Amino acid sequence: MEAFLLGLENLLKPSVLFAIVVGSIGGLTIGAIPGIGPAIAIAILLPATIFLDDLVSLVLLLGVYGSSMYGGAIPAILINTPGTPVNALTTYDGYAMTRRGEASRALSLAYSASFFGGCFSILVALIALFAFGPYLRDLGALFGQRDILMAAVLGSVLLIAAHRQTMGIAALLFGFGFLIAMIGRQTTRKIDRFTFDVEYLFPGLNLIVVIIGIFALSQALILLTGKDDDPPEARVGGGALLGFVELSRNKVVTLLSAFYGTIMGIIPGVGEFVAQFFSYSTARALSKHPTRFGHGSAEGLIASETANNAVPAAAMIPLLALGVPGEALTAMMMVVFFDAGIKPGPDIFENNPDFLFSLFIALLLINVLVLSTLLLSTRFIAKMIYIPNKFLGSLVMILSFVGVFSIRNSLADCIFAVFFGYVGFILRRLDWPLVPLVLGLVLGSIILERMTAGASQVKSLIDLVNRPVSAVLAISILLILCFVIWSMIKNRRSHQS
Amino acid sequence: MLYLFDEQIPTFVGSQVSFKSDCPPDRKIKLDDLFEFKRKRGDFLFSAIVLVVAFFFLISFFTETGWQGKKLPNDFGTYMLHQFGFVETEEKIVRFGRILKQSWVGPLLCLMVLVPAAIWNFKTSFQVHHYRKRFLLPTGIRYELEKYIAAIEYVAYFVLYTVSVPILGYLISTLLLGTFLTWRLGYRTAQWLFIGLLSNLVIVFVFRSFLQIKTPINIWLYDFLPSATRGFMLTYF
Repeated sequence: MEAFLLGLENLLKPSVLFAIVVGSIGGLTIGAIPGIGPAIAIAILLPATIFLDDLVSLVLLLGVYGSSMYGGAIPAILINTPGTPVNALTTYDGYAMTRRGEASRALSLAYSASFFGGCFSILVALIALFAFGPYLRDLGALFGQRDILMAAVLGSVLLIAAHRQTMGIAALLFGFGFLIAMIGRQTTRKIDRFTFDVEYLFPGLNLIVVIIGIFALSQALILLTGKDDDPPEARVGGGALLGFVELSRNKVVTLLSAFYGTIMGIIPGVGEFVAQFFSYSTARALSKHPTRFGHGSAEGLIASETANNAVPAAAMIPLLALGVPGEALTAMMMVVFFDAGIKPGPDIFENNPDFLFSLFIALLLINVLVLSTLLLSTRFIAKMIYIPNKFLGSLVMILSFVGVFSIRNSLADCIFAVFFGYVGFILRRLDWPLVPLVLGLVLGSIILERMTAGASQVKSLIDLVNRPVSAVLAISILLILCFVIWSMIKNRRSHQS
Repeated sequence: MLYLFDEQIPTFVGSQVSFKSDCPPDRKIKLDDLFEFKRKRGDFLFSAIVLVVAFFFLISFFTETGWQGKKLPNDFGTYMLHQFGFVETEEKIVRFGRILKQSWVGPLLCLMVLVPAAIWNFKTSFQVHHYRKRFLLPTGIRYELEKYIAAIEYVAYFVLYTVSVPILGYLISTLLLGTFLTWRLGYRTAQWLFIGLLSNLVIVFVFRSFLQIKTPINIWLYDFLPSATRGFMLTYF
């Protein structure tokens, strides 16, 4: 309880409250603009967080992360274009409702479902912290360097396995990310790795430079070389609170979707897409009117929006508990932890429990604030849809420059960022996934760091997996690998037959 | 009413344009529907380049990772077999952790993922390319290459902008590039140019004046200003 009150007190500082407001409204607006996702906003904001207090930085980024999916539902429903990639399933039923003249009903349902999903996973996390807090403090003793090494390997395997049709590409890009993490001088033995005697590469490539290049600059190039969309005009009416009434009539779908979102968020490498898929297909299977799915079904809309909004709070759990990010946005948040000198991992329950409470209470506040903003200003936010893509591209490019240049005023950083931006641009054009590259970079660093730190306790190979946690994780890795190989063989056979 | 084609069926009463949901019509959606991926025309060329880069790093592994100064047990094969419990040996066993600490281990693990994945990806891409050729589907990459080249123009603007900031200052460079890009992208009316100018001014104000992001201080253009104005410009713009 003391940690909870301390966590609450941390949030009462004006700078933190201001960051919550800016992050939430900024994320909401960014989410509503198709073509600019939360990843780009977080990438651009990362360098600014260096100059800010650690809690202010994290709350700002959490605001963008937690609110962007609310905003992303607006263009998905009004013009059939998801604002963020994870609102893809919302278009199935949301836009169909708009076509039927029920845009306000669809938006109201999306807001209430998102709010429920978001609050559900936060409350689960808070209850878990309250109920298991005293035990979680002992978690640090259970998790050694080798256990976290195994957790990072498990995260990597899950990440690659989750890219069903692009597993080869995901492994390839993960490998490249890992390779980038390797570049630089090894601190313990002063041996240069892949530096090719280029002085700039001796300290290693800056993570923020790579992230801004891959996410922000690449998208700027896509927007600049593309065409402006001509979205149809959409009208929004009132009755935004009626969604909660409809939500209460679909209790089973709502609860089940929130549960899926929370569980999938906790599993590294899985995330919003799979959560949405499972909740949508389950809702369809359980529905009395499955044929309505895809044609404006309220249940379908509730399933997708509840599940994707339950993920952000849940995705913070592996990041905070193990120090292993599950997807790109939490990987970017790792950078803030690194800068703040806070090591996410099991020790955080012992050393900074109030910090944990602060983050989850902030997420709760963000959800309340976003819902209130949406109820008051959906019409205004919906206008953001009509900003031309190319013009947005020019703004993203200029913002990316500030992001890169402000790190250490280095021209070389800008050149490397634009190089990664160009590579990212080609990857985006080819529809190759970008997330494995960035997660390869972050997880690669963790694997490397934990492997070196834990090496002194490794007499023989078996010592890597002879602790209870690492043994369970190693078995999980083997099971996943077996499943992947089995499904590949099965697919091959079905193709041949 | 009887319709000959599905497209003729009005989806919703009262809709002016027919709308067809992306949702698959059958009861079950497959996970693959969400991750649908089709290799595009530039894929084969890019996969080939990626394969070459992966092999380049594989070759560099022997000179760029400390591999030459590696410290391994004399009979490494027997040592590894012993690690897996297949062989018993009477020699003094080197701690496995001593090997893990060496600088080349990380790159080796990384290349163990990268190189096979690059080969696998190239093979799949080649198969798709071959399939397209066989069924006389378009395989030319000219359109993609045109797009890649078009992007270089904006890369050049970015590099020019980067170079100009230490000379002209962040404010002037941003306003110049922002307004130029607005014009270059086809928004040439006075209203759009004003919006472009204003948006970029807001960016400078938020990042430089408000968030106090660091930008170069030895700006040649500001040297011509009176000292008080120069100080103000250096602090806030």
